[in-house]
Amino acid sequence: MKFTYYPGCSSEATGRHLDESTRAVFPELGIEVEDIEDWNCCGASVGHIGGGPLPQLALNARNLANAKKRGNEHVFTSCAACYLNTHRNNLAIRDNEKKRQAAAEILKAGGEEPYEGDLKVHHAMEVLVNFVGMDKVKERVTNPLKGLKVAGWVGCQTVRPFAETDDGGHYDTYEDPHFLDDITEACGAEAVDYKPKTNCCGGSVAVMKPEKTLHLMKLLLEEAEKAGADVISTPCPLCQTNLEMYQEAINKKYGTNFNIPVVFPQQLMAVAFGMDPVKDAALHRNTIRAEKLEKMAKK
Amino acid sequence: MTAVPTPSRTYDLSFARWVRENVEGGDKLNMCMQCGMCSGSCPNGQEMDNGPRKLFMMVRAGLKDEVLSSSTLWECTSCYRCYVRCPRGIPVTTIVQHLAALAAKEGYAPKNKVENYFFSKAFWWSAESFGKTDERLVTMKYFFSFGFGEGIRKALDNLKIALGMIKAGRMHIGLPHTIKNKSQLKAMIAKAKELEQKG
Repeated sequence: MKFTYYPGCSSEATGRHLDESTRAVFPELGIEVEDIEDWNCCGASVGHIGGGPLPQLALNARNLANAKKRGNEHVFTSCAACYLNTHRNNLAIRDNEKKRQAAAEILKAGGEEPYEGDLKVHHAMEVLVNFVGMDKVKERVTNPLKGLKVAGWVGCQTVRPFAETDDGGHYDTYEDPHFLDDITEACGAEAVDYKPKTNCCGGSVAVMKPEKTLHLMKLLLEEAEKAGADVISTPCPLCQTNLEMYQEAINKKYGTNFNIPVVFPQQLMAVAFGMDPVKDAALHRNTIRAEKLEKMAKK
Repeated sequence: MTAVPTPSRTYDLSFARWVRENVEGGDKLNMCMQCGMCSGSCPNGQEMDNGPRKLFMMVRAGLKDEVLSSSTLWECTSCYRCYVRCPRGIPVTTIVQHLAALAAKEGYAPKNKVENYFFSKAFWWSAESFGKTDERLVTMKYFFSFGFGEGIRKALDNLKIALGMIKAGRMHIGLPHTIKNKSQLKAMIAKAKELEQKG
């Protein structure tokens, strides 16, 4: 099945390993990936402040119009912020007359046809749950990750505010999602009981003023350690980068000694599928190397 | 869009009415029953002066200056926990975000030297100039919006992280990544700004 793919800005920088592992793993599960031509930034969680609500709509309308040209009904992205913005603006264009007209005028200014909001936008995890299914993931595993203990940290925007809605494909719950643990177990690893699985790392506020949000990330690390996790798995590129790059600052501030690798479920799958640890799983891009997982990888 | 009214007397509902008409999600604001589920669920509530529950009451009380100067607008991490938990179905996060956009537009944010405002401006500069977020340039521009000395200090503080990212190939060296059709995006954003002005 063909899907139009929106890589998002992090795919070219801090989230390259998410992009690379997604491109490696999804075709193995029958999902063909075709990029949106000349995609742009979604505006993330600050575009409405920096540019304004309608300029933020403009960014997303352009992406959706370009996605429409691909000719596939379904669009997906691996980034939580890209998902939220693309999905939300798609629904606004579909359901809100005023927004639809504004989008049409904006697109016209760029020489594009009006867009009616008829594409379906998904998160990569929703695609795995609703279009692929865990049985298929399990079937593809040739190198089960036996003995690897994984704390599944879902984060915020991957499930909120859409996962429990019709438009979110009802793919999991807001408060106690289990898809991430299901992926871990399908890969043959052990999903440890991880209580703060939908806790927030601080998001972009953690990037702006880390000193104020380090306590949020400290809790996430403490609970992973208590649960005996070897790695934390998260689907969100900002969660991954924040929790990885601030561990040293946390250790300095709180006198702790954390050194816990934070990986993407796509990286776990790539290793469990027996794929290349560098080219496919991109494990060399984690600044805290997941050594136990690297040792399990087929060379 | 009409100008934001400044309430002049007690029980002046003009600001609340304006928010209802002009702020995304604002039409649901009068559903709020002040239960506090939103503020109690907030991961960053301790950094906020009011929290969403109190903020919404302040909108209804017409406290325009206090609402638009509130740190609550800038401390929201957009985690949407309040949004999905609100028993009255109020899109709490959306309203807080759009009140922040309003505060930025009305000049309340720079007055209060808000980090989120500087960050948003740096972010938007990249999105508008290149069509993409260049994480390194956004971060540097953000750091230096506090002045040269502070910019250097923040940059040095983060040097080790940056070097780690470069080593892992997650921060590129050289010119920013850009979209191909920059002039098209420019025309579209100009149109969007024009529509926003008209309201």
